[in-house]
Amino acid sequence: MQNRIEIRNLSKVYGEGSTAVKALDGVSLDVRQGETMMLLGPSGSGKTTLLSVMGGILRPTSGSVKVNGIEISNLNETRLPKVRLDNIGFIFQGFNLFPALTTLENVEIAIELRGRSIPKGRARQLLEAVGLGDKLHAYPANLSGGQKQRVAIARALAGNPPIILADEPTAALDSTSGQIVMDLLSNLARQEQRAVVIVTHDARVLHYGDRIVHITDGRMTDLPEAA
Amino acid sequence: MANLAWKNLVYDKVRLSVTLTGIVFALVLVLIQFGLFLGFLDTTANIVAASGADLWITAPGIPHVNGATAIPESRRYKALSVAGVERAEKHNIQFVNWKLPSGAQEAVQIVGFELNSGMGGPWNIVEGSVDDLRGEDTVMVDELYKEKLGVKGIGHVAEIQGKRARVVGFTRAIRSFTTSPYVFTSFKNSQNYARLGPDEMLFLLVKLAPGANAAAVQKALQETIPGVDVYTNAEMRRKTQNYWLFSTGAGVTTLMGAALGLLVGMVVVAQTIYASTVDHIREFGTLKAMGAGNGYVYKVIIQQALISAGFGYVLAIGAGYLVAKGSETGNAAILLPPEMALGTLVLAALMCIGASVISIRKATTIDPALVFKG
Repeated sequence: MQNRIEIRNLSKVYGEGSTAVKALDGVSLDVRQGETMMLLGPSGSGKTTLLSVMGGILRPTSGSVKVNGIEISNLNETRLPKVRLDNIGFIFQGFNLFPALTTLENVEIAIELRGRSIPKGRARQLLEAVGLGDKLHAYPANLSGGQKQRVAIARALAGNPPIILADEPTAALDSTSGQIVMDLLSNLARQEQRAVVIVTHDARVLHYGDRIVHITDGRMTDLPEAA
Repeated sequence: MANLAWKNLVYDKVRLSVTLTGIVFALVLVLIQFGLFLGFLDTTANIVAASGADLWITAPGIPHVNGATAIPESRRYKALSVAGVERAEKHNIQFVNWKLPSGAQEAVQIVGFELNSGMGGPWNIVEGSVDDLRGEDTVMVDELYKEKLGVKGIGHVAEIQGKRARVVGFTRAIRSFTTSPYVFTSFKNSQNYARLGPDEMLFLLVKLAPGANAAAVQKALQETIPGVDVYTNAEMRRKTQNYWLFSTGAGVTTLMGAALGLLVGMVVVAQTIYASTVDHIREFGTLKAMGAGNGYVYKVIIQQALISAGFGYVLAIGAGYLVAKGSETGNAAILLPPEMALGTLVLAALMCIGASVISIRKATTIDPALVFKG
């Protein structure tokens, strides 16, 4: 399987001098096409920092990060958005939907960002695929947590990215909603051959991972294969 | 994209109300302060601007139109001899005392003009006519000052410098910058009221012949007539405005008020737009995470600012016109000419864009972790 993300000797330090904090320390890992990787670790261990660096939101202090073959660790701010746009879909713990937009508009804006011709009705199709065909014109405030996260998944898929990065996607959901969301994410890897990285604390969802990576104090502690 | 900016604004109606209140407050403040300033400028020299004269001939070195000293009537004949002068008419503007019904005295400025000249007379006449001033001891006052002068209506008789003065007409909104209202009368009457000699006058108002070059005639008059200054209408207006603007505390205060209004307005708008942008900072962070470039985020922020500016402007200009309309019957004029209305629109847009540029910096330096916080 092709590597979608390749990380080598990655370090990230916040602050300088005596106040410097090493959030990531010599991390190396690959995320393969069709794989669901779970990033596990206690609060403050560096999981979200690692996800941010993978997504090109945060620049590493040293080391190499390749996204779909593109070295992004030294890309400037004018080129990074295009890499994110073409390769990565984000899913956030807090959903991060635009409250002023309807469900449909929340997905359409992700399509609009691409600025290229995407088949009309794509947003509607994506929402129907996540089971929200009857909520197209609802506002986020009128959706349950699980429904919001499904809108976020549809939005992340708007540009058909090969990589999905999800930060605690089930943290704010009940177990039923969490299971629906995890099924959707897992299918994105297994059926659609996307690389899916999920940061989680939630032991209930670990079995969805093909691989579990433990992060402690900014270091990878082991790489056990999931059962 | 316009959709997101628009929807962001109208979604939170409380926030929108706060934003618009801030912008409207700031713009109304700017409109009123500048309207007062323009009103001040207009009022100081309205008597010059509305005179219809092309040139003013005065005693040398007068500080402003309300501070003239007498020149001999013979200067008129010299003026008429200069090529390009069609008419040269005697004119007076002089402080005199008006006796109130209570017996107290009120200072007024008597404006004496040649009734047939079409220059230097009253305008905005709402009762009576210039012809009514042909009668002996007849005067016309502005209805704004009826109460101040104790005038009950047409036919009211008062005293000016101990001489009878009968009110035969009223003008509307001819304000005096000083506390002394203008009282219009014939040139002949004004000589009596102002206690000028029979061959004295304070000004000669010159009307140029069609096609005459104003600068050339001004120069010729200056060279032909000894012991006078010759000003174009614009020069006399500017001279008077500058005197009241820069030589008195009132002028400087009004000017500073306008400048302060602009400054406060800018700060309020900047704060309002900044707060509105920061309210959506997480959404802008999400947009960036989704792959939006800074340009896209800038556009959304600037569009939000411009939409706010547009709505704020419409409300503010409406309020400004109401205030200006209300000031027509008050002592302080607030002018709101179309140029100022247009200028305020540009100012509103610039202030809002300027403020959003400050917020843009905030949006482009968002802590990436912000979007990951639950």
